[in-house]
Amino acid sequence: MLMALLGRLGQTLLVLLGISVLVFAVFFATPGADPTARIAGRNASPETMAAVRHEYGFDRPLPVQYLRMMDKLFVTRDLSSFVDHGQKVVPEVLRAAPVTLSLVGGAAAIWVAASVTIGTIAAAMRGSWIDRGLMMLGLVGISMPVFWLGEVANLVTQSRYHHSWLFSWVPGLGYVSLWRDPSGWFAHLVIPWIVLAVLFIGIYGRVLRADLVASFDEDFMRTARAKGLSDSRVLLHHGLRTSMITFVSLFGLDFAQLVGGGALLTEVVFGLPGVGRLTYQALNNLDLPLIMATVMYSAVFVVLANAVVDLVYLLLDPRTR
Amino acid sequence: MPSAMRVLVVLGALLATCPALAANGDHRGGTLRITADAGAGTIDPQINYFSEMIQVQVVVYDGLTAFSKHPGEASNHPVADLADALPEPQDGGRTYVFHLRDGIRFSDGRAVTVDDVVASFRRIFKVHAPSSGSFYAGIVGASDCLKDAEHCTLPGVQGDAAARTVTFHLTAPDAEFLDKLAFPHAYVLPADTPPHDLGNDPAPGTGPYRFVSYDSNRGMVLDRNPFFHEWNAEAQPDGYVDRIEYSFGLDDEAEVTAVENGQFDTLYDNVPLDRYGEIGDRYTDQVHIEDVFALYYLAMNVNLPPFNNLKARQAVNYAVNRRAMQTFYGGEGAASIACQYIPAGLPGHVPYCPYSRGADNAHPVEHWAAPDLARARQLVAESGTEGQHVTLVVPNRAVEIAMGTNLQNMLRAIGYDADVKPIAFAIQFNYIQNSSNKVQISLTDWFADFARPSNFVSALYGCGNFHPGSDSSPNVSGYCTPALEDVMNRAMSESLADPARGDALWAQADRMLSADAPGAPLIQIKKIDLVSKRLGHYTATNLYHMLFSQVWVR
Amino acid sequence: MSGGGDLLPAGPATGGLAASDAVARGPVAPGPWRVAGQALLRNPSAVTSMAVLLLLVLLSLLAPAYARYVAHTDPFMSDVAATVSLHGEEVPVMQPNHNRLHLGLTPIGPTWNPRADLLGADNQGRDVAARLLYGGRNSLLISFCAAILCIALAAMVGICAGFFGGVTDMLLSRLMDIMWAIPVYLFAISLSIVSVSQGLHLGPVTIRSDSLLLPIVIIALVYVPYAARPVRGRVLSLRRAEFVTAARCLGVPRRRILLRDILPNVSTTLIVLAPLVMALALLAESALSFLSIGVQAPAASWGTLIEDGTGLIYTRPAVAIAPGIAIVVTVLALNILGDGLRDALDVRETSRGRS
Repeated sequence: MLMALLGRLGQTLLVLLGISVLVFAVFFATPGADPTARIAGRNASPETMAAVRHEYGFDRPLPVQYLRMMDKLFVTRDLSSFVDHGQKVVPEVLRAAPVTLSLVGGAAAIWVAASVTIGTIAAAMRGSWIDRGLMMLGLVGISMPVFWLGEVANLVTQSRYHHSWLFSWVPGLGYVSLWRDPSGWFAHLVIPWIVLAVLFIGIYGRVLRADLVASFDEDFMRTARAKGLSDSRVLLHHGLRTSMITFVSLFGLDFAQLVGGGALLTEVVFGLPGVGRLTYQALNNLDLPLIMATVMYSAVFVVLANAVVDLVYLLLDPRTR
Repeated sequence: MPSAMRVLVVLGALLATCPALAANGDHRGGTLRITADAGAGTIDPQINYFSEMIQVQVVVYDGLTAFSKHPGEASNHPVADLADALPEPQDGGRTYVFHLRDGIRFSDGRAVTVDDVVASFRRIFKVHAPSSGSFYAGIVGASDCLKDAEHCTLPGVQGDAAARTVTFHLTAPDAEFLDKLAFPHAYVLPADTPPHDLGNDPAPGTGPYRFVSYDSNRGMVLDRNPFFHEWNAEAQPDGYVDRIEYSFGLDDEAEVTAVENGQFDTLYDNVPLDRYGEIGDRYTDQVHIEDVFALYYLAMNVNLPPFNNLKARQAVNYAVNRRAMQTFYGGEGAASIACQYIPAGLPGHVPYCPYSRGADNAHPVEHWAAPDLARARQLVAESGTEGQHVTLVVPNRAVEIAMGTNLQNMLRAIGYDADVKPIAFAIQFNYIQNSSNKVQISLTDWFADFARPSNFVSALYGCGNFHPGSDSSPNVSGYCTPALEDVMNRAMSESLADPARGDALWAQADRMLSADAPGAPLIQIKKIDLVSKRLGHYTATNLYHMLFSQVWVR
Repeated sequence: MSGGGDLLPAGPATGGLAASDAVARGPVAPGPWRVAGQALLRNPSAVTSMAVLLLLVLLSLLAPAYARYVAHTDPFMSDVAATVSLHGEEVPVMQPNHNRLHLGLTPIGPTWNPRADLLGADNQGRDVAARLLYGGRNSLLISFCAAILCIALAAMVGICAGFFGGVTDMLLSRLMDIMWAIPVYLFAISLSIVSVSQGLHLGPVTIRSDSLLLPIVIIALVYVPYAARPVRGRVLSLRRAEFVTAARCLGVPRRRILLRDILPNVSTTLIVLAPLVMALALLAESALSFLSIGVQAPAASWGTLIEDGTGLIYTRPAVAIAPGIAIVVTVLALNILGDGLRDALDVRETSRGRS
């Protein structure tokens, strides 16, 4: 078991190494991405270009540059942006993290509550029009591009109906810290929460229903029913509990992905200064240090979550043991 | 003058000044709140080259000279700032002696000394300021400093602490030297400012405001410099507002909404096009439109087919629909049509357009009227380049993509197999500059650093700004002819003694460029400022737009 | 930016197939395709979705006809001085704002008249309805090709990983991890720039930057890890199945087992995955184009149309809303079809019946 754990850890580190090398290589293989001219400024003379190139070490071999960047990112943690020279990227990412966590946490609460409700109701009434209707709604949710839904939500709440009683409370786009203004925090985030949650409500509701329906035929459920327990009781107590394994592992993967900056489009559309938006800005500016920091941050979440979910499966699910 | 009358005159003068004083008193105070999409780069005034930051630094720092802060045409010209007066050039324009004004302090309380000035000029080279190799390369010793910044002594700048003078020795006369001293990279900082990029840590300045905090991802705050007093209201007037708060992070659409709703007093970024109608209709009184010395133009690579052929370049100039470019930029109110290399409002600009329907080099018109596709097609046919493949490279922003699509249609209409390629905005300009990327034709814009024609002629078409294989080579066309070099050199040297003669030579250079057509000027853009209802006394200068020290908030 | 999240969301297939991946075990008989086909045709929602998809394909194929014979415009030609005739009047497509400042021009809004900018014009005075049809061609083509390519690659990776196991499995799985976490956006920007001047040279093949191959390959690669996972799971469970073990014991060569026993059984999984991956590819294409790194101007796709429309969202919302609705309808139809296929070829029911 320990060996398996260590082995998996080693593999995870290799994956992270692979990602960072790839990002680095792709960046320097892109024509025009050389940051020297952008750092040196408009109309910099060849002498200035040379001096900047030397100062930032762009005249060294790529492997050396790579190692220096990794050293600054992980060891001394004072890697600074190529665009805003005074900006240290590690604190920048850490400061963006709570925004993303606020967004994803709220959305996750909504999607878990809504999808459990929908999934359970649909499973309990399987075959009925309510079941079909709910599942169709779930599919519609899955089928909507999130950035489009966000733009439409903004159009409705910020412009078209902003002055109606329904949406007059909606503040301008942006983010307010929970500690500074709890009600403002909520008002700023509630629409992004819903927009982000729609997709996942659809997915999770459908997955849960499928699992629940499948579990009706499992032996322990038959036994429970044979013992005279009511259908809904069986469903809630036994079915839901077993179906939660899939649900939780799925949740782990998605949550990690989103916390790592995967809610990029939602953050961009709603002007939330989280990790996703930071990534977006970094990529727009082709700012390698910030790209590297955000990508590594998100990769750590994704890769670790993958590993953890695999392990949890190994430990919990009697069927794979 | 009889004494009674004298009293009357004095009284009149008092009465005349009183309202101004009262107004000043009334409108002092408050916080100016500004919003921008993203941060403005390093806070180091000798390195930063973004107008977002420069606009703020104008009210924080001073140089020996400064561009006048009187609005309009006056703001094109340098006036004495930290120096007592503008010195007369000596030694045929090779020597300037400035006398440093007394009693000016940095925001940390220390007095400004001759040492600070001398050290600041060395620092330009030590921190590798972008302009160190261009604007300041003419100072004696600059070439050594460019080669070895660490041991830079810059003998061409000599301070005399006792006499409070700073003497500049130039390798050659420079008609624009006083402008260059007024440019932000020549701001005077304390002598002990570290010789590296300051990043987010502000250096003390001498202007009416000082930086309190700066975070390139969140925002910046400025308050009053407690040691400031007004010494020359034209160079550096005192400010009205007590505090300036700048916050980053909203996108342009949200910025406009926030200013309309009064959450901010103005926005830095351009108002998105779809909001023009709205602000023009409903917020007319809160919109200010100012001319800017900036051009959108097509750069054609004169070293690559098909645009190594003069007729092909002229064909593009005839065919391009400048009216459409104006429309894509927001219509008549947002840009004016440009047919020349020197923008309107600069010396040397004499209305002239050979590339309009019915006009040619022998019969130019004053203003562009309409494209002439028939003539363009004929020129392409004559050039023998018909059917060649042409790739137009544009930045991937909505406005430029719209222009690019139209330009692609135009290139196809005159007989080329044309493609348009949008490239990430952040790197497009560097990409098109590098001759190894073999860009045939590209769309870009260019802003003046100061109000001189050289900013558009020498900078974009001078041999000295063409560096093959480098990402920093603003002469995107790769154009270099002895004839133009000669006229530009004469314009530069003759401007010193006889500005009118210099302007005439610049106008000649403009016409030479028109004839040779290494580019195609499209539009001259305007700056559209949307302000809140409570912002008053809107004041703007030509180079730095809204002047934050002169507006008031109620 | 990693592969997942809201940029490139993983659809219900993760759940559906991951779940069945965990549940499914035991051998699967090669499904009689005809039975499956009949089951599909008996499913009204699946039939409806197929009809909708067919209609969408037809409509987008008819795009040139619409532009030429109905709308009488060239939707790739930007013309800011154009006029359309409406109620017997010539109306400018780009309507100047009559404010004192002469600021801005607003494109004409929806006229609901197919001869005159049915859905209005975009910021270049181009007919949105015609562009919507042309955009549909690219969106459908890209997502279809990306789905096929992705499924093919995923099948190879998944089968290799599942069947050979051991080091192969480990290497392929970690490779998938890397691909899943790599920032697609950076990749896309980089590729688009590389291909601008030189084109992309991959051995003898040269890809031009306006080629749709770029977004197709990028999107296909993005979803390979996602589709390979259930395939691998399926192969793993098949490998342990009695009939495969039996064949092994009988000394049947591995290649034969792979071709005769594994592949036919995996193919049902692949067929069920295909429409779902296409739905995801369509969403991914729109997201990449929205960030202006998918289909490049002046070509259109539904994503680029939304991106164009966001610049007009406050004045002419139809420009952004119409392509969004087209995406929702298509993705919905694909997902329903995927459901229908899953029911028709139901792996789980079959396996349960046998165990």
